[in-house]
Amino acid sequence: MTKHPTRRGVTAGLALGTLAIPGLGIAAARAQAKPIKIALIAPLSGPWARQGQLMRMGAEMALEEINQKGGIQKLGGAKLELVVADAGDSTEKAKNAAQRLLSQEPDLVGGTGAWLSSFTLSVTEVTERAQLPWLTLSYSDAITNRGFKFVFQTSPTADHQAAETIPTVLKLAEAATGKRPKTIGIIQDNTASPVSFGKQLRDGGLDKAGLKAVVDQVFTPPLSDATPLVDKVRSAKPDFLMLLTSAMPDCKLILEKLDEFKLGKGKIPLIGNGAPFGSPELLKTIGPELLEGLLFSVADWPMKGQEEFIERFKKRTGEPWLTQDSLTAYGDVWIFKEALERAGAADKLKVAEAIRGLNLTEGPAAACFPGPIKFDEKGRRVDVPMIFAQWQKGVPITVYPTDRAQAEPFWLKA
Amino acid sequence: MRTRAEANRQLWAILGFAVAVVALSLVLRNRYYELVLTQVLLWAVLSLAWNLLSGYSGYFSFGHAVFWGLGSYTVALGMIHLDLTPWITIPFCAIVGALAGALIGYPTFRLRGHYFALAMLAYPLAILYVFQWLGYQEVALPMKRESPILYMQFEDQRVYIALALGLLVAALLISLWVENSRFGMALLAIKQNEPAAEAAGIDTWRWKMLALMLSGALAAVAGGLYGVVLLVVTPETVFGMLVSAQALILALFGGVGSLWGPVIGAMVLVPLAEGLNAELGDVLPGIQGVVYGVAIIAIILLAPEGVYWRVLDRLSRRAPSASEPPRAGAAVVTSPAPRPAINVARPLALAGTGGDLLVLRDITLSFGGLRALDGVDLVVPAGGLYGIIGPNGAGKTTLFNVINGFLAPDRGAISFAGQSITGLRPSQVCRRGIGRTFQVVRAFPRMTVLENVIVGAYVGAADDATARRMALTALDRVGLGGRADTLAGGLTTRELRLMELARALAPQPRLVLLDETLAGLGHEDLDGILGVIRQVRADGITILIIEHTMHAMVQLVDHFTVLDHGRLIAAGRPDDIVRDPSVIEAYLGKKWVDRMALTAQ
Repeated sequence: MTKHPTRRGVTAGLALGTLAIPGLGIAAARAQAKPIKIALIAPLSGPWARQGQLMRMGAEMALEEINQKGGIQKLGGAKLELVVADAGDSTEKAKNAAQRLLSQEPDLVGGTGAWLSSFTLSVTEVTERAQLPWLTLSYSDAITNRGFKFVFQTSPTADHQAAETIPTVLKLAEAATGKRPKTIGIIQDNTASPVSFGKQLRDGGLDKAGLKAVVDQVFTPPLSDATPLVDKVRSAKPDFLMLLTSAMPDCKLILEKLDEFKLGKGKIPLIGNGAPFGSPELLKTIGPELLEGLLFSVADWPMKGQEEFIERFKKRTGEPWLTQDSLTAYGDVWIFKEALERAGAADKLKVAEAIRGLNLTEGPAAACFPGPIKFDEKGRRVDVPMIFAQWQKGVPITVYPTDRAQAEPFWLKA
Repeated sequence: MRTRAEANRQLWAILGFAVAVVALSLVLRNRYYELVLTQVLLWAVLSLAWNLLSGYSGYFSFGHAVFWGLGSYTVALGMIHLDLTPWITIPFCAIVGALAGALIGYPTFRLRGHYFALAMLAYPLAILYVFQWLGYQEVALPMKRESPILYMQFEDQRVYIALALGLLVAALLISLWVENSRFGMALLAIKQNEPAAEAAGIDTWRWKMLALMLSGALAAVAGGLYGVVLLVVTPETVFGMLVSAQALILALFGGVGSLWGPVIGAMVLVPLAEGLNAELGDVLPGIQGVVYGVAIIAIILLAPEGVYWRVLDRLSRRAPSASEPPRAGAAVVTSPAPRPAINVARPLALAGTGGDLLVLRDITLSFGGLRALDGVDLVVPAGGLYGIIGPNGAGKTTLFNVINGFLAPDRGAISFAGQSITGLRPSQVCRRGIGRTFQVVRAFPRMTVLENVIVGAYVGAADDATARRMALTALDRVGLGGRADTLAGGLTTRELRLMELARALAPQPRLVLLDETLAGLGHEDLDGILGVIRQVRADGITILIIEHTMHAMVQLVDHFTVLDHGRLIAAGRPDDIVRDPSVIEAYLGKKWVDRMALTAQ
């Protein structure tokens, strides 16, 4: 994975943040206007550094906007400050980062991030004990299955995603072709999220959807040769193929082999899951032709109504398009802003309480996520639809849910 | 082996270290530093566990993550599936680790050197996939709100420091005990020369297995506690390459094969890595790895054997060292310091009791197409001084290797003192009372002369003190009493041969096999050694000696057996043998037989 940290945005954000701290002369006002600290823990080094950088870009952009618009009004215009820590490449480092932030920044009111779900699991072991409200885009069910009270998942959980994806795919296919698919092929690796996704499908998900798995292959990354997998697809000819991979080289191998076997370019429609299927890096390594038409479900993706924000983001960071990582980090900071306004105090317990009571359907925070910003007692968002994006002419564009889609989906016919 | 005073000093050092850590934990007052300190202690335990096997025995393991990870998963899965508290599962990890060590050691100890290291690498990598396949990608230890203490979940992080410290102290004490017992001596001997250790009666297989099992148990217990501290267990974090590398790097940095090396490594490198991560991670992502790497490279360049040994060398260079081998060794040896009179224990079999001590029947052994031994029959009566001669490649050393168990014959039987010893391992053969020396001296160069001989004495000694006494006796017998404390690496060829002889004699064997003990020695040296050999024989020990050259042998032995091309071609008294035409032919060719015949006429 390439690492191209964009430093301009980072420095700009920090500069603005520090400029904002002094200024107010009145003692009382100054006490109130003490910056409010929010943590971001994300992998900034190691194999997932790029994702961490993307999250940082989103969080800093939100911070800058909030501060420019006058900070937290209920708190005398107090500015937000982002404290960043590197989760590195292991759960140990992630946990250390969390413990360090909590030790060195006792006045944190909340935090976001960790990205990889195992990192989030270990980070939240620390934040939960410190009663620090934590927002995360990680979607492992385990994160909110532990009875924790201070962890809030902005993404639908893995099980939920798996349960939602297939019926929606069938609906899209039926709408486009008039025919309901009967068979499915599954190729997945055995890393954490594909495994939990695949488990949901096999444990009743497929039966419920009336689908028969004619290909069901699990491999251990890295894949050295996709021929045996794709060969099975060729002979079984499923109505569509579910690709559950987490590493780009594996995905590339499979797509190329499909093309070589004349199964590409829509001969067999491809469905993916997860934000990596819409990353600019994928386009760079695989190219637009092989990706054209690939449909993937994802927890969060740029939607209708965000055009102006997306333009600002692209201009600010030089990224070709906005992805889930930046978008949710941006949204999370806005959720904290809303919660702080409601809490009326820079206090983590009150902020947590405010988050529990949120029910946002409009405003900058709500605009970042599909469905309302409302959490159940487990810390999961309620009534969250899955988003589907589709590669169309070299760009992954949101095509579902219809009310927030940027384009019409098309179903490549077999 | 250390003296008791030194061991006591180490005990005090361990106590001092523990007190210092406790004091540190009391002044930290910062949960983050407390967490890092806990990790330092746990990684030190893993590194000590690694050191127990790899540092002492020289069998480098690239796969200690397998034990660590099994420990972590034992605790995590025990809590999730069986609701078992870590108070039970962590001690149970010792059994899991030892069992894993046995399962891994059984096939893997067939390999040596790099092959062993590489094979060890495979275990954690393989088991990582097993755990992924089992669906344990992310396992979180459930939070127990009702009875946290029962499940080892403490609000006060210092309890974890105390637990980890307890474990580290235990690991240090175990290491200290190993270092100061025949266990450690055996491992050290294996590290320096495994065949010699085996021939000296050390059951190398058993000690290696024990070391791996003990090491695995320690690593697994530490891994179990690590799981409790981290609360989230994933295959990559506990079975990953980085865990195995961490164990190795910490020990290499601090000093391999030393008690404190792994601890030093952990105390320096773990906080350094974490500090770099914390300070630079969000400013210049990735730079922490570079700095860490540079620090390790610098240490490798400046202190290749590790910080501990480097410091020790510095200190000992300043103070005049007593263990420095004196170069003019001969002077010391010719006038050995008189030792307090020790009763020279008489060997089990007294001279001249008669009977056949060693009987070989139809010994045959082939290496592929080459028949190295071809139906050799040999009977060595008790109390004799037997010589085996033959030209290069005649099969003499092969015959010794068959007798002492390095090689198993394809056919034939060997009996010793009336019992079959065919197919026994060298250490078992040694245990029965057969000692041997080697054509190329196999010393343990980094051990003192006395320690070299003690290794041999263990076979015949019930306890370490007896072994020491027997070793001193043996050294006196060969006239090396004055060199007991010299490092074996500093000995002359003659002294090395004598030392090896002493090692063979120390457990008071009934038979010694001397493999070209006289080779490469000058005349003066030769006479000295011949005297020693005669004395040994006079003490009632049966001797079987191989020699390539004949002249010294003629003076020494009372019976000759001549080997050529793996076959026994002649046997008899020395005077007869030197005139035997087939012997002359074997040595010098047909032409000389004719000439001898002419001369005789």
